Amino acid sequence: MRNTLRRRVAGAALTAALAVSLTACFGSSKGGSNDNPNADVTITFWHGWSAPSEVKAIQATIDAFEKEHPNIHVKAVGNITDDKINQALRAGGPSAPDVVSSFTTDNVGEFCTSHAFVDLNKFLDQDGIDPEKTFPGPQLSYTQYNGNQCTLPLLSDAYGLYYNKDMFKAAGISEPPKTMSELDADAVKLTKTSGDGYSQIGFVPDYHFYESTITHFAAQWGPTYFTSDGKSNVANDPALTSAMEWQKSLLDKLGGYSKVDKFRTSAGEEFSNNNAFMTGQVAMMIDGEWRAGMIDDSNSKVNYGVAPFPVPDDQADQYGKGYITGTIVGIASTSKKQNAAWEFVKYLTTDTSAVVNFANAIHNVPSTIAALASPDVSQDPSFQQFIKIAQDPNSNTTPASPNGGDYQLVLQNLGYNFQSGKQTDLQAGLDDAAQQIDTNIAQVQ
Amino acid sequence: MTTTALRASRADTVRRRQLLEWVALHSFAVALALLFVLPFVFVVLTALMSDQQSLTRDLWPQPFAWHNLVDVWHTPGFATWWRNTIVYAGCGTALTLLSSVPVAYALAYFRFRGRNVAMMVVIATMMLPPQVSIIPLYLVWAQDLHLTGTLWPLIIPCAFGDAFTIFLLRQFMLTVPRAYLEAAKIDGCSDFRTMRSVVIPMIRPAIAAVGLFQFFYCWNDYFGPQIYASENPGAWTLSYGLQSFKSAHHTDWNLTMAATVLVMAPVIILFFLAQKAFIEGVTLTGVKG
Amino acid sequence: MTVTAPAAAADASAAAATRKAGLRRQRRRDLLRNLAFLSPWLLGTGLFFLYPLAITAWLSFTRYDGFLAPVWDGLDNWKYVFRDYPFFWPAMRNTLWFVAVLVTLRIATGLVLGMLVIQVKHGRSLLRTIFYAPFLAPPVAATLAFVFMLNPGTGPIDTILGHVGISAPSWFNDPTWAKPALTLLAIWGVGDLMVIFMAALLDVPRELYEAASLDGAGAISRFRYVTLPHLRPILLFAVITGVIATMQYYTEPIVAGQVASGQIAGSGNQFEPGYPAGSTLTLPQLVYNLGFQRFNIGAACVIAMVLFVLSMVFAAFLMRRGSGFLGAED
Repeated sequence: MRNTLRRRVAGAALTAALAVSLTACFGSSKGGSNDNPNADVTITFWHGWSAPSEVKAIQATIDAFEKEHPNIHVKAVGNITDDKINQALRAGGPSAPDVVSSFTTDNVGEFCTSHAFVDLNKFLDQDGIDPEKTFPGPQLSYTQYNGNQCTLPLLSDAYGLYYNKDMFKAAGISEPPKTMSELDADAVKLTKTSGDGYSQIGFVPDYHFYESTITHFAAQWGPTYFTSDGKSNVANDPALTSAMEWQKSLLDKLGGYSKVDKFRTSAGEEFSNNNAFMTGQVAMMIDGEWRAGMIDDSNSKVNYGVAPFPVPDDQADQYGKGYITGTIVGIASTSKKQNAAWEFVKYLTTDTSAVVNFANAIHNVPSTIAALASPDVSQDPSFQQFIKIAQDPNSNTTPASPNGGDYQLVLQNLGYNFQSGKQTDLQAGLDDAAQQIDTNIAQVQ
Repeated sequence: MTTTALRASRADTVRRRQLLEWVALHSFAVALALLFVLPFVFVVLTALMSDQQSLTRDLWPQPFAWHNLVDVWHTPGFATWWRNTIVYAGCGTALTLLSSVPVAYALAYFRFRGRNVAMMVVIATMMLPPQVSIIPLYLVWAQDLHLTGTLWPLIIPCAFGDAFTIFLLRQFMLTVPRAYLEAAKIDGCSDFRTMRSVVIPMIRPAIAAVGLFQFFYCWNDYFGPQIYASENPGAWTLSYGLQSFKSAHHTDWNLTMAATVLVMAPVIILFFLAQKAFIEGVTLTGVKG
Repeated sequence: MTVTAPAAAADASAAAATRKAGLRRQRRRDLLRNLAFLSPWLLGTGLFFLYPLAITAWLSFTRYDGFLAPVWDGLDNWKYVFRDYPFFWPAMRNTLWFVAVLVTLRIATGLVLGMLVIQVKHGRSLLRTIFYAPFLAPPVAATLAFVFMLNPGTGPIDTILGHVGISAPSWFNDPTWAKPALTLLAIWGVGDLMVIFMAALLDVPRELYEAASLDGAGAISRFRYVTLPHLRPILLFAVITGVIATMQYYTEPIVAGQVASGQIAGSGNQFEPGYPAGSTLTLPQLVYNLGFQRFNIGAACVIAMVLFVLSMVFAAFLMRRGSGFLGAED
């Protein structure tokens, strides 16, 4: 009798405690846009730049902003990874960021649907900014999801081919390859083995190497990742099959996966001065426009040229296209200073001189129509090459999806298994990948 | 042959066999010891190589780049990670001991209903992977208390007793002869006095050992800082900072290994200073078990 | 005695009453004292064990991304994890592998080293120090050291093996060799077990060995019939704690994977644990990946519950050894 009573009391107490803690736990903290943008405020800005020159450039932009808006102070926190951004957006609180930027567009779908980022349309309307007339099409499309413009482009990146001119000359190659079969032939010609390794390698298609990822390569075939009803299209799109088969065949031509991968593990860090292209161990590589700036800023003596990345032989007429992506910036919905944050975001993304100066300083492609046309944009020929790639009508990007970059991770895993020979049947692998992508999306919806 | 000669030659064989066994045993031991030392040697040698050389197959630094250690010390953040680690390990250990000693005392000497259940819960929590409870805890620290990005979520839980510490301290306390406790009781000591003036002084070596364990646990902790502190580089600890050292600073193996040396060194030095307490402590975890 | 019987009875009952009251007071005082001494732990258990456990269990039945409030969706997460999540079963298989190979080899090495050290007459304490020191190397630092040493192309082990004509595998970069490489790392840090075994070995009465020798037992049968039976409880302890440690195996594989992959976990680039090809995935890493990188919190909680049940099963094994573990007092 007493026992049951005690148990009941304990049960009731536990339930009450749980109810209290649950509401405490999941009552989300709401931000708002009732703040006065003319009051003296400090906003926190998170970004991912870490190289000293980049940190200096973003600080210069912030300084210029603070000069124009003396009442708004920006506290910048750099070297923030996407995991941390994702965690902090969920946490909120006084130390959480007001303005957040990320180097990837992958999570835009998730940020918009979950309302982690504020829909910026109302701010754009309020300030009379027409996004269609301000930002180029691709940049506008990767910063929104289903009409919710929860982020804006903050500079963009275009991918192309870097090649070592001295090595080309030594091998008797007069110009950069334009098609995949030319790339293959040049890569083989530029490769010199020594012992069981390489003293020089023409190209490193290994998916673990620097920017040699499946999505960067596949852009040359113009893939369609999702059908119009949101289902994965990877199993039906010949673009992905061709891209993956090309990568595997080039690996084989260069001596096979394990030999190339061994080279990869002994190569220097991608963002250090020991980058294998910069040390003259690699003749060609796929990379973004920022690399040219890094080479020029370093003591590397590599005599490099840039060109659009080659296209498949049957799409030779589309030479000039490439993978494009960009840094995005948004306002956390937990922010209580959204009007002040908007002033900063507006400055970062739409002020022509701010965009041009920042783009020049960190060697990124400007992300507004006005800035792209500005005469102040660096006229450096290699840089102009990337601007052309960014403006090419056939250039493409990886689309947003409701669970972020998950579908790219699934594909990336398939890529790893296919290049290492663990997965031999590519079509079966793509079928499984498509199914996995759909299951994962269904699981979060 | 005479019997004495026979006996002498047999003694000779025995001695020779013993010598041979001695040599075999010791060379085996030395070979194994070299293998165990080797990783330390490689780490130190690479830490002293130049940038280019660390990407080659060379084993011996040429020339010795002693400035690597200085450079690493001066990389942005490294000194902060040190400070944070010392704060976390120091406060964590002090709070753990303060909160765990009374609990261990109660579990060792008090007789009350549910004591066995309490012991079982202590052992169960000791065995619990931290990942089991991390999600709700993170949500509370992040969404309600807004303390992520600081060291508080790592330090505060230490004030609520640590199962492993409680368990070990209790085992040690059980070795204190009852007569001392009874004498204290007859003298009119309260339990608190008895604990403070009789039991604690008697198990001081054990407290030192347990404290060292906790200190090392905090020093080495990677998962906790990864979850709670990582969003703010100003709150990183050495373990977390070291893990991201290579990618965050875009450095190659030589500087990474120099950082590794600077993280390993204090632990190994502390071990040499407090070797006895350590080995006794480890022995107790097993033998009493 | 001059007092009358009823008076005596009344007196006695009054005394009994005071005694009872005193007893009650004493009991209350004891209760308060117990609570005072136990309070840190009682609070801690509630806040850091029972509360999160209840919430984890509840969240495992909800869909929750950390932004919008959790929504009940029954067994969906459980079905997803067991049937559709591609990394759950590989992680379970890896855990089994680690239990079968890593734990076994660690115990065997610990035992061999322990026996070796107590037999060595000269330099015993130096030897003990050398074998024990790696155990204290911070796991992140030790892992970095091993990834570097075994790195193909630039690592010293690769170079040395190359000199003697052995083409070394890619260790942390090869799905077949990544687990063995982690095993080497774990064996390097075998010091704790060695010290425990040493203590146990020194506990074996000398006379038993002498008696066995007189009976003509060789080294092997002495080990089999004298040493092993004596070590049985310690061996069991080592196996169970080894299994539990495997359930918690996190830092070494995740750091090794990240550093060996060379992938930069910076902005715009997410590192997925398990490199290479999921061969080093363990359950705790899945909790991190699902809960803190992909924010599929419901599914992460399912894995956490699986971890909880598995750990508790082995903890129960340990506790069933009963009084020895709970202390001789009971």
